[in-house]
Amino acid sequence: MTRTARMIAVVMAFALGCISAHAAAAQDRSAPRSEPRPAANPLEGNALAISNGAAMFRNRCAGCHGADAHGYLGPDLTSYWSAGGTDARMFDIVRGGVPGTEMIGADPLRVLDKDIWQTLAYIRTLSAVPAVAPTGDAVSGERVFRANCAGCHRVNGRGGQLGPDLSRVGSARPRAGLSSKIRGTSDVIRPGYEPVTLVTRDGERIRGVRKNEDEFSIQIMDTRERLQGYVKANLTAITVDKQSLMPAYGPDRVNDRDLDDLLRYLTSLRGTTEVTR
Amino acid sequence: MRRSLRKQRPAVLVILACALSWTLASAQQPAASITSQDLRDGLKNPTRWLTYGGDYGNLRHSPLTQITPANVNRLVPQWQFQTDTLGKFEAAPLVFDGVVYVTGPLDTGWALDARTGRQIWRYRRDLPSGLIACCGLVNRGFGVLGDRLFKTTLDAHLVAISRKTGAIEWDTAMENFRRGYSGTTAPLVVKDKVIVGIAGAEYGIRGFIDAYDAQTGKQVWRFYTTAGPEDPGHGTWRGTDAKAWEHGGGSIWVPGAYDPELNLTYWGTGNAGPDYNGLEREGDNLYTASVVALDADTGKLRWHYQFTPHDIWDYDSTQMPVLADITLGGELRKVVLFANRNGFFYVLDRATGKLIRGKPFIQTTWAKEIRADGRPMLLPNSVPSEQGTRVCPDQSGGTNWMPPSFDPSLGLFFVTARESCGIFFTWKDDYTPGEAFRGGAVQRLGDTQSSMLRAIDVTTGERRWEFPFTTQSWAGVLSTASGLVFAGGSGNVMAFDAKSGKNLWHFQTGSSLYAGAMTYMVDGRQYVLMPAGTTLTAFALAEF
Repeated sequence: MTRTARMIAVVMAFALGCISAHAAAAQDRSAPRSEPRPAANPLEGNALAISNGAAMFRNRCAGCHGADAHGYLGPDLTSYWSAGGTDARMFDIVRGGVPGTEMIGADPLRVLDKDIWQTLAYIRTLSAVPAVAPTGDAVSGERVFRANCAGCHRVNGRGGQLGPDLSRVGSARPRAGLSSKIRGTSDVIRPGYEPVTLVTRDGERIRGVRKNEDEFSIQIMDTRERLQGYVKANLTAITVDKQSLMPAYGPDRVNDRDLDDLLRYLTSLRGTTEVTR
Repeated sequence: MRRSLRKQRPAVLVILACALSWTLASAQQPAASITSQDLRDGLKNPTRWLTYGGDYGNLRHSPLTQITPANVNRLVPQWQFQTDTLGKFEAAPLVFDGVVYVTGPLDTGWALDARTGRQIWRYRRDLPSGLIACCGLVNRGFGVLGDRLFKTTLDAHLVAISRKTGAIEWDTAMENFRRGYSGTTAPLVVKDKVIVGIAGAEYGIRGFIDAYDAQTGKQVWRFYTTAGPEDPGHGTWRGTDAKAWEHGGGSIWVPGAYDPELNLTYWGTGNAGPDYNGLEREGDNLYTASVVALDADTGKLRWHYQFTPHDIWDYDSTQMPVLADITLGGELRKVVLFANRNGFFYVLDRATGKLIRGKPFIQTTWAKEIRADGRPMLLPNSVPSEQGTRVCPDQSGGTNWMPPSFDPSLGLFFVTARESCGIFFTWKDDYTPGEAFRGGAVQRLGDTQSSMLRAIDVTTGERRWEFPFTTQSWAGVLSTASGLVFAGGSGNVMAFDAKSGKNLWHFQTGSSLYAGAMTYMVDGRQYVLMPAGTTLTAFALAEF
């Protein structure tokens, strides 16, 4: 399997996991009553818990946070404790999710409290101090963003909407992942933003991102941000492209210093509006 | 109405002939209440639908022929009914005497006018807090006998409800829901007994199939789906936990089939528990992931066939057994047809349980083939592990609870199939009553996932045709004697030519499909009823 295919597989697996978890969460279920959550991990250092937690981490977390927990689609977890994070907060994040990101809360009927503590006991064994302090200038980075990215991406209500809203991207993506996406070395495409080309019976070619599809129709946002549905019987071709609509921004378009500033700006974004759960 | 009847003269003549033959056969008008003989007759009266699978054989194949491949493109919605609840339909509605009886999510049920969808009565159970049910707070339908409907409940009871008022007539606790037991299957009613099974294998239950007296609600017999010390299969529970059989799983999700001549009921049983970690339950773990043939009067085990010995992939056999008489090698055989979650399509002798054929209907990497002795030939590197093991299909399997259909005239078995692979992980779970007890989990691999309707030739096990769905389908299947198959995906209910698989019609319901269509006739008009999300939609041919 190529790296690209593997990445897509991981994203799709995550998306499917989200869908099934969402479907489960949508049930009006009455979860078993949990005990009050302790402030510190009661299983920290427990050998069996760490062993079980390792398998749980690989199953439930590694797809986004990386097999080594250094971050992939999701943030680096190894520096969480050295940066002042607490067991209790991490537990709450796992149980409740992070609003506005792909990080969903763990269903209490499927993931018991002890499962979360076991997973945290394992992640704690990977804990490390970050090797490099953050670099770049966020104010300058925002200018780079406005000049290059805002045509398609929105932050805090300003910008285009053909690409994903980045208002909370600092909570959702590690710096390395953002860098590779900007430089064009990442083929990760978020569900709902898969590039698609439609050809009508008149021969017109329409490019956009796929919002939905079934056996008989497809719904897209075209490159002019027009939402539109098409009946497949009226199309002669539908191509889901492998390459993102987002162009690669090499050093000729965004130099290394500007990229550093841009990454500092993006990783600082945590959103300004309350997200309703 | 007169004008439309003139326009539909050929179809009307067929219907009248059908109704006349039924009248002559029964020598009376349709009974006001349902007898055990009515249940045995099944779809001989094609205007009704009295059991989950349409008849005791679970063929889900209706003799109605008003809707045909030639006119199905004129199918239009006639009415819709919405539950005003959360959740989703997974039930097969029952229809007789102009009334639809259907169960919904969160332990609800309704009687509806089959002509208009208007509610006649509503049943709703006050559910206790702290319910535990792994896979949705759903129900798969009523059973019926006399003037009573029967229903399992999410808090592990079996209730009898008045068909006329929706009022409870008796209420029997099957088990303690706080220990993870729940009821979701539709009952199988045989003679004077209501036969049901219990769910909850993801919570360490000991599964069972029970028979209750339809009049009193008193238990008549119980068959445990994990073999205890007195059972011949008990030696198949070994390993580090001597009590593994006591919380060994074996759920029942959907009703069984019944052969009146052999007086046997047939049930698919669920996975062993914990789902993925088999260390503490070495051995075959009978009678999980099997089909069991039980005497309808006594519940005694006549035979069993285990599809997935020592299941460590969550390959529940919670599919609907289909009973058919088919010609194989020039000989008429009474068989059980079973498209299993483990990816193999089985043909078994219905009297003995002996394997006739087992053939994959999707890609499988846990087993290569089914040997002549009936056991799967396992493939290497397919055991779930702490590091993760890639296995196909994933835990949702080649198919699942959604019911298939069988057209005897074409010899074709229609099943909603899934191609998939997953990474299977294990860890150690200690059994605690009422808590999740899986011993692992599976990471689905998105690029391996696809779903389709497949037509399998039962005489060869070969695929005759398929129709791909855009998204994973959980819809059941219905076929009709006019040569139609109704199935669905991505919210679309669709009709296909049964011979070729050509798509002939579709309608976007607006919600995912987790049940199958059924069909009935009232006032000389054939309806197709499709549950989708929390809405029922009834279709019939346009009257213009």
